[in-house]
Amino acid sequence: MTLADPDNFGLQCQGVSHWFGENKVLFDLNLEVQAGQFVGLVGPSGCGKSTLLRAILGTHPPLKGRILTMQNGRLANADRPGRDRGIVYQKYSLYPFLTALDNVALGLKLDQTTTAFRWLNWTGWAKKRREFRDRAGAFLEKVGLGQAMHLYPSQMSGGMQQRVAIAQALIMEPEIILLDEPFGALDEATREELQEMLLRLYEENAEVKAAGGKPPYTLIIVTHELNEAIRVGDRLVGLSQYWDWKADGHERSPGATVVYDKAVPVFRPDERPEYALFDDIRREIRKYVYNPEVLQQRDKHINVGPTR
Amino acid sequence: MIGRPITRAKAVLLSVLSVLLLLAGYTWMSHRQHQVNPNDTTIPSWSQLAEGVKKFTQPDRKGERWVVEDSLATGERLAMGLALGIVFGFLIGMLMGCIAPVEAFLQPPISLLAKVPQTAALAVYFVFFGTGMEMYVAMISFGIIPALAVTVYLAVKEIPAEMLDKAYTLGASAFEVATEVVFKQVLPKFIDAVRLSIGPAIVFLIAAEMVVGDVGFGYRIRLQFKLSNMNVVYPYLALLAGFGFLLDYGFRMLQFKLCPWYQSHTK
Repeated sequence: MTLADPDNFGLQCQGVSHWFGENKVLFDLNLEVQAGQFVGLVGPSGCGKSTLLRAILGTHPPLKGRILTMQNGRLANADRPGRDRGIVYQKYSLYPFLTALDNVALGLKLDQTTTAFRWLNWTGWAKKRREFRDRAGAFLEKVGLGQAMHLYPSQMSGGMQQRVAIAQALIMEPEIILLDEPFGALDEATREELQEMLLRLYEENAEVKAAGGKPPYTLIIVTHELNEAIRVGDRLVGLSQYWDWKADGHERSPGATVVYDKAVPVFRPDERPEYALFDDIRREIRKYVYNPEVLQQRDKHINVGPTR
Repeated sequence: MIGRPITRAKAVLLSVLSVLLLLAGYTWMSHRQHQVNPNDTTIPSWSQLAEGVKKFTQPDRKGERWVVEDSLATGERLAMGLALGIVFGFLIGMLMGCIAPVEAFLQPPISLLAKVPQTAALAVYFVFFGTGMEMYVAMISFGIIPALAVTVYLAVKEIPAEMLDKAYTLGASAFEVATEVVFKQVLPKFIDAVRLSIGPAIVFLIAAEMVVGDVGFGYRIRLQFKLSNMNVVYPYLALLAGFGFLLDYGFRMLQFKLCPWYQSHTK
């Protein structure tokens, strides 16, 4: 299968560069994500993970290069946020003025009805709203939040909030979901629970794939926790400004780019992660992605990476 | 101890006590004044007050009950002025918060206007709007618009960019981001601002009525004060206070009804 196949396409970043004045952030970044992949994105602080994520989201398009996503069945530039890309932030993902149920139903409402319809066709809207709420309710049940449906975000724990935020993004069935440090503010136990929730989605992917369908969930998770990236992802991408740019003929660092891209083992949701197994991967990442002293050729540790 | 809560019963008891103290203090002051001068009208006794109340609740020579015609006149002016000010204050604040050119264009006049004391600008309103209904409405609405607009504008600016970006990923149009996210997020703060603007609105109105009114609370209070009828002035003040309190209470209930999330949010 190739990326050109619409049933396989997730995301494509082509030669993406970004800078803020003199401050070079991203340089000639190429990244291809296939449908159904769970990409763990890691890198030292200041390497531009957030810049890349915002570029993919479309709120801050890159100054050079382009980012393609599947929009309404065809490839298009992701130069503005759209319903084909979902996002879960560390905070501010949920609307404080809506209950869990309405937060999840909001996307259906905004996507499938217009303001004119809601304001003018009251009975039609009432019917639609019931339908959206039923769907949102069923979805919340599925992620184990049946009890919390009518709570406002301020009445929920951090873990519940992020669970709802993920449901809110998932119900839109976006082509790709971006998670920006989604569990950064949670305690260890809650974190693991939510990782399991994501792994269950990965299992669902595998089932659909086995039946010959397009895997429904594709995601990029940005995290500073290496273990989390390894456990949740089936692929680990390292973004770093520490690579041998001198050999490429640059006088000053041109910015961060992908220096590490390898498949990582896949775990079942109920599997207790054996963190000791992660040690080899972590050692490699620490050395080639995080260590400013070790400068290697940018594509030396790219096994999965873009088919150039 | 600081911040330690007391029981509900104690809280009620203390509230009642404070009102009783106020009434007792008044009675004592009035009593002392009447020992010096039995015909005193500056601090009327309770029976004199009852006479005053009778005066403004019974039909006068023209068959009008003062309290009714004053309430209707003042109420109508206040309602129109507040309504206009609320609508425009909100719209201007929303537009300033959401659209950068509007923000740049309106910020100077709004911040300047906010600094002009309305009561000092009375003459300007007389010149531009005469002394009729238009003048009262203009004075109240122009008086509260700057503060309301600035509150809304700042509240819009406070919304994290993430919340707005998120809405686009859920399929919202720019208009829907304004109506479904910004509006709902700003609403409770706006209602708080409206509550705070009721006080100034009444001040502006009463001041204008005192100068040019021929009916209304301000007019009546000034007239009766000139005649030293403090037994009418004091009950009128109490009525005004009650009026303002009810209005404030109404808006608080409205906020409770429209933004139930805000109660638990601010806790």
